[in-house]
Amino acid sequence: MNDQPVSERCRNVARRELILKAAAGTIIVAAGGGWYVISDRLTAKARAETRPDGRPRLPPGQRVISALKPMGGQPGDPNRSALRLKVHGEVEHPIELDFQQLLAMNVVQRQADVHCVTGWSLLGGRWRGLQIKALAERAGLKPGARHVIFEAAHGYTANVLLREALAEDSMVTWELDDHPLGRPHGAPLRALVPDLYFWKSAKWLTGIRFMRSDEPGYWEVRGYNNHADPWKEERYA
Amino acid sequence: MPERQRRIRWRPWLRAFHRDLGYLAVGLTFVYALSGLAVNHIADWDSNFVNYQREFQVPTPLPSDDGEAATLVLAQAQIAKTPVDVYRPEPGKLEITLDDRTLFVATETGRVYEEGQRARLVFRSVNWLHLNRGKKAWTYFADGYAAALLLLAASGLFMIPGRKGIAGRGAILTTLGAAIPLAYLSCVGSP
Repeated sequence: MNDQPVSERCRNVARRELILKAAAGTIIVAAGGGWYVISDRLTAKARAETRPDGRPRLPPGQRVISALKPMGGQPGDPNRSALRLKVHGEVEHPIELDFQQLLAMNVVQRQADVHCVTGWSLLGGRWRGLQIKALAERAGLKPGARHVIFEAAHGYTANVLLREALAEDSMVTWELDDHPLGRPHGAPLRALVPDLYFWKSAKWLTGIRFMRSDEPGYWEVRGYNNHADPWKEERYA
Repeated sequence: MPERQRRIRWRPWLRAFHRDLGYLAVGLTFVYALSGLAVNHIADWDSNFVNYQREFQVPTPLPSDDGEAATLVLAQAQIAKTPVDVYRPEPGKLEITLDDRTLFVATETGRVYEEGQRARLVFRSVNWLHLNRGKKAWTYFADGYAAALLLLAASGLFMIPGRKGIAGRGAILTTLGAAIPLAYLSCVGSP
């Protein structure tokens, strides 16, 4: 005969039940997570590929997704007619360009992979826009410039090294995969520096400032890495 | 004996304080917890907006006047709104901007690509508060709530004595809770 009071026995049974149910729930969730990882063919395929520069196509810690994800932020005016892009700082002739003036320049399309610091990568997107080096040439970049600050709506900034901003596939872009950039992705204009984590590619872009010295941007002063190389997993400071 | 009674009277006060502060904190806890979950998983789900795209066809030729063309396109799309702007960036393209969407019209073919978003009222509001987008006085409420959480956590440790006081199960669970961030930092990496 159990000499435990009934209330005590009930409590023990309830606790045992709770533990069993929690364990069962954990196993089901873990199995689901395992299946999700194993069945991710896009990521497995990308892991087997190598870039022309010898680096793996997919940086460590990334998984491939099939469409750009909205990552929040304070949107700017999406209207292309209101766009004014300032190119200033260490340049001979600071300029301000509207959308039609951007279209009248040497518009290019580049295929590029982008990598978000939260762990997703979008591969092979066709981005249409202008190379940043074309804008730098037009404004007359001074020899002392070493850094670039992307300026965006509501005071957002992101800093990159000049040599990375002037790379072949670094652009200001307004079109992805033959469609205008969506509002959550920075319409009408965003920066694109594919070889750095994607927060460096400022959305709702309003200005490009060339600088002699560095100036950490919005996320960089909030604990994120100043450089942000995905292949070195430079996520945090 | 009267001295002993006076010593233990602080617990009922602590419980009353914890309970009432808890009631006050319920609303903000829902705001910060819901938004915390939403923002943590922003890469998987846009909690602020429902984003959508669609394509459709309008009859051509469109009127050569931009305003008239925009009116016709909106009527075809059954959108009863006034455009914020109608813009022709280059020949053959017309853009009609509304407050929640933009319609990109290929004027030659009549093909329209619509891209827009609908706000999720509750999540957008709680995220706005959590991220303190509005600044101003909300900083004071947020600071007050953070202080209230500290007080709730501290008072929760002592408000019910238990058989072994804080030294029993309370000590084990408190240590476990504190060990989680420490273990994470030591295993995954620290700043």
